[in-house]
Amino acid sequence: MKKIILFCLMNVMVFAWQVWAQEKQFTGSQILEKVDDVVNAPRDQELKIKLILIDKDNKEKIRELQMLQKDSDKRLAKFLSPADHKGIGTLSLPYDIMYLYLPAFKKVRRIASHVKNTKFAGTDFTYEDMEAKRYSEKWIPELLKRDENHYILQLKPKKDVKTDYSKLIMWVRADNFYPTRIEHYDRAGKLYKVMTREKIEKVGEYWISKESEMEDLKAKHKTKMIIVDAKFDSKLSDEIFTERYLSR
Amino acid sequence: MHRVFLLTVIGLLLLCFSCPLLSQESSGSEVKWNGYLQTDNRLRLKGDNDFSWQEYRLDLKTEVKPVEKAKFYSEVWLRSLGFPTVQNSADLVDKNIVSPLNLDFREAYVDLYGFLFNNLDIRIGRQRIAWGTADKLNPTDNLNPDDLEDIWDFGRRLGSDGLKASYYLKDYTFSLIYIPIFTPAVLPRGDWASALLPSMELPAGLTLRNLTDAITMPKNNPKESSISGVKISKNSFGYDFSFSYVYGRDDLPLTRKITFTPTITPGEIDIASELIYPRMNIAGIDIAGAIANVGVWAEAGVFFPEKIMMTTDLSALGMGIQEPVALDDKPYVKYVLGADYTFKNGVYINGQYLHGFIHERGEDNLEDYLMFGMDWKFFDEKLKIIPVGGGIEIKDFKDIENNYALILSPEITYCPVDNAEITLGTRFIDGKNTTTFGKLKDNDEMYFKMKYSF
Repeated sequence: MKKIILFCLMNVMVFAWQVWAQEKQFTGSQILEKVDDVVNAPRDQELKIKLILIDKDNKEKIRELQMLQKDSDKRLAKFLSPADHKGIGTLSLPYDIMYLYLPAFKKVRRIASHVKNTKFAGTDFTYEDMEAKRYSEKWIPELLKRDENHYILQLKPKKDVKTDYSKLIMWVRADNFYPTRIEHYDRAGKLYKVMTREKIEKVGEYWISKESEMEDLKAKHKTKMIIVDAKFDSKLSDEIFTERYLSR
Repeated sequence: MHRVFLLTVIGLLLLCFSCPLLSQESSGSEVKWNGYLQTDNRLRLKGDNDFSWQEYRLDLKTEVKPVEKAKFYSEVWLRSLGFPTVQNSADLVDKNIVSPLNLDFREAYVDLYGFLFNNLDIRIGRQRIAWGTADKLNPTDNLNPDDLEDIWDFGRRLGSDGLKASYYLKDYTFSLIYIPIFTPAVLPRGDWASALLPSMELPAGLTLRNLTDAITMPKNNPKESSISGVKISKNSFGYDFSFSYVYGRDDLPLTRKITFTPTITPGEIDIASELIYPRMNIAGIDIAGAIANVGVWAEAGVFFPEKIMMTTDLSALGMGIQEPVALDDKPYVKYVLGADYTFKNGVYINGQYLHGFIHERGEDNLEDYLMFGMDWKFFDEKLKIIPVGGGIEIKDFKDIENNYALILSPEITYCPVDNAEITLGTRFIDGKNTTTFGKLKDNDEMYFKMKYSF
């Protein structure tokens, strides 16, 4: 009987060591790579998005847009509502090349990267927040700790990366590596904005957050981003991400 | 004859290829309507504080996309523009005099995407073809006629009835435009019209009784009236470049002949002038990109005008006929250099240096302008202020003190709810009478606008 108990105990210890050893294997960089693989898994996406802007008195404004994305650096967004935004489009291409289409002027206008730190259509997301770049391209991760369900990473910007944030603290779900909360710290090191991701569901073979929220703690303003409709891997052509399609 | 045949063939081809496109899947199409209502009232700040402008504009846009490869679009303005012009009791039965109405057919066109070839898009109908990278003041934007009705609405143009073909090949975009009939510019209302037209000095000792003019329009045939243009665009080294060429006409009239006729009163004369629209070839280049996060652009148009002599007929005064040059055929360049930047707190600044305004022609007559603007959004973008906006005109850098004009136009906009904007602003003008804007220094005004989009 003693032998059996000893055998079981040893097995449990070996198993526990294996689990611990396995978890120990993940460095901050590996976790961030896995985050990138999960978040940017689809080859392309067609999203219909509803943005709810909520001010400090809980008054709401709604914006709707259609967004097409391919790889991590091609994105075309067109506003569907409200009426005074309808038809306005933005096109983001590699190397920080951005265009804005203003239907009232019938003109596609090149916009410089100075807009990156400004609010996207009055929301709490900046153009930088809306980028689809892989986190590992911009940030150096450090694994701070692991709680029951999450890895907690600290991300600091790589040298030569232009960003408005001094660091990010990211909570990553341990089971599927989807980031659920990201704290954004300003250049002075103060907590500035918090992004939370909810309704994380598997659509087809990909994990997505159907509802996320960005809260600006200084302005006491928040924006909810709801994915109304999502299609993945529709084989979007590169031709869509051109001025030709932006102005249609 | 050959051209007529060619146009007929092109027309038939368009018809043949567009009909099947439009008939496909037409059951899925839906008509989308949107637009806005805009009111605009302006009050002079000097004199009797007259209202200088009243406009109530209903903008209606329609869009139908019956199939993936075709789209119909139109935009119409229905406006109450101006003031009652009642002069006698008979006028009171005329609604257009009591309450002037105006229908402005801005655009109406059909787009056919992937026409004949996958990479070819065409647009047929009344359309705005906006060329150039600068902000509202574009020396390369010479296809649509200027709509200077409201001088403060910089960059507004009339739509042109024509055809635009765009061919996309890798990073290149080739555009070809054909506008069969020339349309002249709409001149500003009231005092502003005289500011944009050259002033005429009478010979010493003469006074003017009547001034009449006649405009000779180009003949309605392809050779005389047509306008065409070609443009090639490309992105290289992070910058957008385009090169363009327009075979067109100056859309502002030029005086070709002045006849002085004495009246029965000694020293008094009548003047009759003849005006034309000179042919103009314009080669253009524009660039847009960024230098260290700052948006930059440059745009230049090289104008190759037709030489026009001006006949000044003073024979009735016994002074013979003079024939000075009204417009030399020497090429001249109009250009714009500009930059903009948005600060993190939402403050946006924009500045442009312009050499040669819309109405200026000939190398020696081009003036310099510095346009600037700054806007700042507050309270979740409910409030937008433009504390600094306007321009400086310099006619002669050697004697700035006597050759300048300054326009300042601060503005505040409040958006109480989505889609609604209420704007209050002023325009202060100061300067010397030698300049375009300085002539109108007594036209300071305040304006109130409301816009609701639907």
